[in-house]
Parts: sequence; structure tokens; C-alpha cells
Amino acid sequence: SPPQPPRACDDYWSEFRHCKSLKNCFHHYYTYGTSPSCQQWKEDFHNCREWEKHRATESKEALQRSERNRVAEQRKFTPVWELRQSPPRDWHMPLNQEKPQDS
Amino acid sequence: MVQTSQPKQEEEYGYDLFPGRNTGQHKGRSFTESLLTFNHKCQVMLQLATETSPYAKLLLSAMKSSGCKVFKERHFSCEDCDGTVSGGFDADSSQIVLCQNNIHQQSHMNRVVTHELIHAFDHCRAHVDWFNNLKHLACSEIRAANLSGDCSFQTEFSRFNFGLKQHQQACVRGRALRSILAVRKINREEAEKIVDEVFDTCFNDHAPFGRIPHDKKDAGFAGRDYENRGRYYANL
Repeated sequence: SPPQPPRACDDYWSEFRHCKSLKNCFHHYYTYGTSPSCQQWKEDFHNCREWEKHRATESKEALQRSERNRVAEQRKFTPVWELRQSPPRDWHMPLNQEKPQDS
Repeated sequence: MVQTSQPKQEEEYGYDLFPGRNTGQHKGRSFTESLLTFNHKCQVMLQLATETSPYAKLLLSAMKSSGCKVFKERHFSCEDCDGTVSGGFDADSSQIVLCQNNIHQQSHMNRVVTHELIHAFDHCRAHVDWFNNLKHLACSEIRAANLSGDCSFQTEFSRFNFGLKQHQQACVRGRALRSILAVRKINREEAEKIVDEVFDTCFNDHAPFGRIPHDKKDAGFAGRDYENRGRYYANL
């Protein structure tokens, strides 16, 4: 499918509104001791609309940069454990036969 | 709360808190009796949690995508537990234990289900050495306390813990510490050191939510992001 913004443009606007809400400000202070910065969501919304309406390359690249930055922020910590390539084999195995089942 | 089995050292790994497990005993109940028991109430609340809690629903989706589809009858068990324990994840049997005698409100059930599903999710997506590696245990406990609502302002307030600035972090540390001390025989300083070592990484690991869900609205946004993840990663 042709390239499109990573999120629907309205999603950026709703994230912006959500970010600026009193509740979120409170939760952010409760978690980090600071107030949240929400401007990036607003910029992303405008870049998203520019991309959609005018196929503006600069807007497209700016938006993608912003999102890649978000992903990088989430991944910048050294993981404590190794991720699996496949789920644990015994997840679906039936329970131990010694354990009586409820009738 | 996490257990792994090592039959000779059951007490060392917290199994003694769950006396109903692995005893080989089964108490028969009449149909009417079971309708009125904690067990029935537990089953009903569990059903409601998995159907209505946006936290639980996102985790169940994420686990299904990771190849660990959850079946209520197989992966959940309502049982009587000792003390004030609310639940646990048994990595050996891949089961979440819900303490039917200690969970009496739906909001509590929602949190316990979310908390234990986070352990199950970690078990599913990573090589977590529940048994030998205390850092792994600490990490999953930090995540579970952080992301399940265990440390939300409202929940802490209801426990008469009136902290505000950065209180989430203090709460997460404290609860992770308590969980470790409850199931492993180490002293407090050792446990604190381990929590400190992994805190930054694990407090900031928000998978599968992508954010710390402070309330149902946050969890709803996280759910939306999760549904959209295909489009998202394809267009970066």
C-alpha cells in the first residue's frame, strides 16, 4: 500500500488534547515530577495534514523523524532479559495429570 | 507475585502461600454450594475483567499475537490463598492464580488480572529466568506494579498513601521490593540493590502499552495504538 502517515491525523490531535488535559498533567507530575511537553503532538498533527493534503515531502520526513524519535526513546535502555524467538513450548501443554480437574 | 517450582524448596519460592496447589486433594462441592462460594464470585469477576478492562484486553491481544493465546479454563485458577496475597503467576504450569478469598471487589480483580498477565506476557516474550535470576524477577515486578494500576494515584490514595510528586516511582519500588521479599529468602538490602540495578530499564519498559496507563482512558489510547501497530511500523 502507498506510504501514509504512521497514524491517522486525528489521532495526533487527540493525543495532543489528551496530553494537555488536566488529568494527564496531574498523572505526569505524579509519575515524573514535571509537567508534560505536548507541542510535538501538535506539530505532528500539522505535518500529518500537510502530508495528506499536499503530499509535502518535508512534512512527511519531519513526521517520520518525530515518530522514529519516539520509538528510539522507548528503546534506549539496555534490556534485562533476552527476547524469545518463539513462545514457551509448554504454554499450551495440558495441566499435570496428577492434578485432579474440577468435575 | 511469581512462583517457580522446585519441589524440595517449596517454601523458599513462595509456594507455601498457595496451599491449594499441588496437594493432590480435591474438595467436592454441590452445585448450590459452588454458586454461593468465593470460587463462583471469583469466576464471575474474572470473566468481567477479561471482557471489560481495557488493560486486560490489550494484554490478552498482545499475548495472542505472541503465540500465547490465553484460555480461561487452562491459564487461570481461582483458589484459596494464605495471608493477604491476591494472586500469582506459576511459570511451571503457565497458570495465573487468583486468590478467591482475598479479592472481593471488581476493581481489585481487574488490577490483579492485569498484574499477573504482565508476568505471563513477560514469560511469553522473553527468556525470563524466574527461578535463578533475581534481576529478571525484579524487572517483571517493577513492570507489573507500574503498568497495572497498582500504583495509580487513586489506588495509593485508597491505601492512605498520600504521596504526590514522583510518587508513582516510590510506590513501584516499594511494591516490587515487597513482592521479591515475599517469595525469596534474601535480606532487604540485597533486594533493594537488585531493584535499583534494574529500575531505570524496567520502569521505562512499557510493553505492550507503549505508555504508563494511569486510567482507563490511557489504556484506551494504548489499545488504539496497539490495533494500529501494523500501519505504524510500516510507515516510519
